[in-house]
Amino acid sequence: MTARQEALWAVLLWPCLLSTSFLLECTDQDQVIHPYCLSISQDKLLDRVMQHVELIFRVSEESCSLFEDIFVPFPLRLQRNQEAYACFTKAIPIPNSIGEVQQMSDKWLLHSVLMLVQSWIEPLVYLQTTLDHYDGAPEMLLNKTKWMSDKLISLEHGVVVLIKKMLNEGLLTTSFSDQGLFRYDMQTDMVESVMRDYILLSCFKKDSHKMAVFLKLLKCRHTDNANCA
Amino acid sequence: MRNVQELTWLLLLVLTPRTKGGLSRPGKPTLTSCRSPEKETFTCWWQPASDGGLPTTYALYYRKENSEIMYECPDYFTGGENSCFFNKNNTSIWVNYNITVVATNRLGSTFSDSVDVDVVYIVQPNPPENVSLSVMEDKGWPFLRVAWAPPRKADTRSGWITLIYELRIRSEGENEWETHVAGQQKLFNIFSLRSGGLYLVQVRCKPDHGFWSDWSSPSQIRFPEYFHQEKSAWIVTTAVCAFIFLIITWLLHMNHGSLKHCLLPPVPGPKIKGFDEQLLKKGKSEDIFNALVVSDFPMSWSSSSNSEDLLVELLEVYIPEERENMLGASKDLGGGSFKLESSTSDSDSGRGSCDSRTLLIEKCGRPKEHEDSAEERVEREDWEDARVDTGGRTWPSVFPGLPDRPQRSLSDGLSQVLGPSEGQVCKQIKARSDINIAVSGHKESPARWSVEYVGVQTVVNDDMVILQPWGSREGCTPLHSLQERDYSQVKQVGSDDTLLLLQKVSEGTADGREAGNMSQKSATCMNSTTATGGYVDAAAAFPMTTY
Repeated sequence: MTARQEALWAVLLWPCLLSTSFLLECTDQDQVIHPYCLSISQDKLLDRVMQHVELIFRVSEESCSLFEDIFVPFPLRLQRNQEAYACFTKAIPIPNSIGEVQQMSDKWLLHSVLMLVQSWIEPLVYLQTTLDHYDGAPEMLLNKTKWMSDKLISLEHGVVVLIKKMLNEGLLTTSFSDQGLFRYDMQTDMVESVMRDYILLSCFKKDSHKMAVFLKLLKCRHTDNANCA
Repeated sequence: MRNVQELTWLLLLVLTPRTKGGLSRPGKPTLTSCRSPEKETFTCWWQPASDGGLPTTYALYYRKENSEIMYECPDYFTGGENSCFFNKNNTSIWVNYNITVVATNRLGSTFSDSVDVDVVYIVQPNPPENVSLSVMEDKGWPFLRVAWAPPRKADTRSGWITLIYELRIRSEGENEWETHVAGQQKLFNIFSLRSGGLYLVQVRCKPDHGFWSDWSSPSQIRFPEYFHQEKSAWIVTTAVCAFIFLIITWLLHMNHGSLKHCLLPPVPGPKIKGFDEQLLKKGKSEDIFNALVVSDFPMSWSSSSNSEDLLVELLEVYIPEERENMLGASKDLGGGSFKLESSTSDSDSGRGSCDSRTLLIEKCGRPKEHEDSAEERVEREDWEDARVDTGGRTWPSVFPGLPDRPQRSLSDGLSQVLGPSEGQVCKQIKARSDINIAVSGHKESPARWSVEYVGVQTVVNDDMVILQPWGSREGCTPLHSLQERDYSQVKQVGSDDTLLLLQKVSEGTADGREAGNMSQKSATCMNSTTATGGYVDAAAAFPMTTY
């Protein structure tokens, strides 16, 4: 835009700038677009983030079981209570016990969620590429992993907005993936590769469940909902 | 200052419309709608206003929530004309969008009103796809099954969008649609459709927060013809009713008589014992009267205590004392038996009224100067009792010759008389009558009359009575005594119940001889009778005389 146009914009938009102070934040009752409703309310945002995370968790469960049925033989399957396998996200300073979690502040909960989300974006992209190399990988599995990858990126954005709204702090999008937590090697051994991917999917399933729990906890702190008993 | 002045001048320039031979700045466009089909992308459309006669360009600018950075629309073509398409990367469900459209031509620009958009609330999915109609059967009754698939772009499988469906159906020729809500399911059953009808079906969907999609293109189906079970039920019912009706008609026809008898009972005929209509029609009066007589008359008489039932008429023959000698023969009666037809219609039969002489005696007072007053009174009393007992069917009379019968009812007396004769089956009816045998026609005082009993055997003609003395009953068969009988012709019938009899010689026999025979017979008979009842036999008491 030319300088003239920019000036024009600035001049013309001054009523809007003036009126922003008069604009009210949207409440939950505003189901329809209101011309003065500038932003989404905090509760609504939190609900959306929670739904998002729950969806991701459900899809991750489905893809993990699908992968297990197709590629992993019985003796090698991981049991539920088996804490042995190590997820790369262990390095992230996230409380694991319920007691610790309940003592966490809102800020810490939100930041933990954000860190988890950001650390999983890259591994999922990697997973997509490896699954393409498998023979006989079903279309559904590939679609699911793609879907999870896309939604995770969107979720990161949502958590950022939520942090900004709840904690009133502007946050630069930091990515843990830059720290290189996740390292991968292109394994030639099929079994090894399968096991690695299998563990990756299982870890993602666990972490998405963790995210959902954190957000649920946060929700219950801010509302007097009967579901939180 | 100068900048400010410039700015103000610019403002004025911009804001004041200029007209230059019809050309002007473009009119103010308006954002009509923004829609997202799957909550991952969205498109906004605007409506341009007048272009002011000059070529005008349109631009869409958007700003994200709480950010001042204005972005321009990334895609003007995908959504069609006057549209802006936001792809996945540019769409965020976490923030609102503030969108503005600007129309620009050579003379200036015009801004539209800004609109805030929350992507989640502008979701309007595409119509459902693959709407299929099929006719299924449920226990013989067909119904319509509608099935569909969600729109391709909407991600319902993962739960990203939750859709609820609605369908509508109408018959060809109707104008009203019938709407059904199907919820989240993807098939629906419709019952109770007309057979043979052509139906149109449409489906649409809506997310939890959002707008209804357009109706899918109408699908047609023709409902098959199925047997109208309702009509068949009517046919069966009608046939059964007709059948029942026919049966009832036939039954009525068969039982016409008994039904008629039941509904319209016939008038009962006369219930007289022995009354025979056929005999009456033939006209034989003897047979009729014979039939009327009770066969076991003596038995019933003696056995029954209720003499009211007896259809017995007694003729009492009065003979004045002066003429005893003369009339003795008359009393001597070869007898006949007088059979009276007791007619129920004649309520006064056998019973004297005040007009009769005898009644005058009993009812109207008793003359004290009666010579045989004691006897007669006794008799009268008895007679009265008897009359009462017989229910008024007998004629009252005075019995001078019944001294030993105080307070005895007539029936008792008669039963005593009849006692020894029970074995006989004589069709005789004892009749009493008041007979005034005054030859001169002079009615004498009844006090001087003596009474004898005669048996009336037959009524020969209208005015002939065959009498038979009492005594002659013993060992007498009336049928055989026809030649011995004495006929007394009734000369005159007095008022109501008096008979004037004339002594008549029996036919075909010498008087003297017969009389002798009779006297003999009567003597024998008399003895027996007098022993029993004390009745005086006229024939024995008085010599027979002939006139």
